[in-house]
Amino acid sequence: MLLRSIPTLMLAAAALIFPYSVARIFLDTPIERTMGTAFKIFFFHVPMGWLCMLMALICGVAAAIEVKRRSLRAGAVALAAAELGFVCGLGVLLTGPIWGNATWGRPWTGDARQLTTALLWLVIAAYLLVRHFGGEQSRRLAAALAIFGAIDVPIIYYAVKIWKTTHPTTDVVGSLPPALWASLWPALGALVLCTFGLLAVRVRQLMTSEALDDAWVRLQERQET
Amino acid sequence: MGLWRQTWLLFASELRQELRSFEVVATAAFYSLVMLALFALSLGVLPRDAQVAAAPGALWLSVAFVGALTLTRVFDREREADTLRALLCAPVQRLAIYFAKGALVLVVLAVAVAVLVPGLALLFPAASALLERPWLTAGLVLLGCIGYVAVGTLFAAGLATSGGKNVLIAVILYPLTTPVLMLNLVATRALLEHHPDVNAYLGRLAAVDVILVGVGAWLFESLLVGAVGTRRRRA
Repeated sequence: MLLRSIPTLMLAAAALIFPYSVARIFLDTPIERTMGTAFKIFFFHVPMGWLCMLMALICGVAAAIEVKRRSLRAGAVALAAAELGFVCGLGVLLTGPIWGNATWGRPWTGDARQLTTALLWLVIAAYLLVRHFGGEQSRRLAAALAIFGAIDVPIIYYAVKIWKTTHPTTDVVGSLPPALWASLWPALGALVLCTFGLLAVRVRQLMTSEALDDAWVRLQERQET
Repeated sequence: MGLWRQTWLLFASELRQELRSFEVVATAAFYSLVMLALFALSLGVLPRDAQVAAAPGALWLSVAFVGALTLTRVFDREREADTLRALLCAPVQRLAIYFAKGALVLVVLAVAVAVLVPGLALLFPAASALLERPWLTAGLVLLGCIGYVAVGTLFAAGLATSGGKNVLIAVILYPLTTPVLMLNLVATRALLEHHPDVNAYLGRLAAVDVILVGVGAWLFESLLVGAVGTRRRRA
């Protein structure tokens, strides 16, 4: 019973923390000197970027288990993680150009990390398309796609070091002053709780759907015999 | 019979079949020439500085297009002759099929590159560095193609066996291989600029290739004959 209520508790906690986080970011956090008010996007953009990559990794690992162990639960986790990764990726791709426009004077600079994040998002979108519209036979294909998508994640992370880029280096987060860290933690916490709460709810929903499908097939077979 | 012997026998059979008609090789070479003509029309007037950026793009874009065309055709041939099932039933390791098919696609891409590189050098004077350092160019092209072929062969085989539509190969392949193609672009540009870090770029390419070939080999059998969703197949 306690285990079943964990996702609800996570979503409830996120609902409490999120308004506090927004108030703290916009009312209590000082305005950054060079980037101005647009820097406040950072507190949503960065956690969503991390979560998009994390969801792509979870999707890839779950897809690998799905392929190797024929696990329906792993398949459900992969699909749910891909759906959440898609939403987080969309958030990153929408907030990034707003921040970029204020910082670099252009919303899209063709920067390596921008491109690879967009590519990761396209891979997730391709996975969802194949999974939803490819039929049962394409599940293995979709799983392989997810595994390769997960391999793209470290390439994206190290893209800043591998390619010459205008994007802030990965050390920016590490060099944040304590006041900004104090504002980042609640935003990160709220988004993590919300994402994992939704992940658990969606996995449960997909498993129920699979169980209903199986029950329907068994019923049909019984009626035929 | 060991894996490499099986791979060699399958590859020799694929190559023999290709040499009888030159169907895929001729198509790839012709397609490369068409790409060169299009690049000549659109980018032929670029200044030398811009050529250094344009030539690697022209090379790897052409390789990506020729690769998708070749991958589709290599598995279509099996599907048309209804020999894919026979190949899967043959007493050989499935990994040998993956490596043999991949090797054939590599040979076809090598022919395409043999047309593209001199053509680009002729078209863009800045790209003549590719011919001045032939061994480095050969190594770069080989490493660049291996990663692409590793991913492409896996998904072309998956599409052929799952009854998927061939148009999906481009939808799946291009987003997945673009990071590898980007590494290829950077390494090619470094070669054209006589950058001292060319070998480091090649090392990174080799590392990515090892990962992609490893994952491709790990997934190949599951993708071809695995049974994800078997419970649902009863319906």
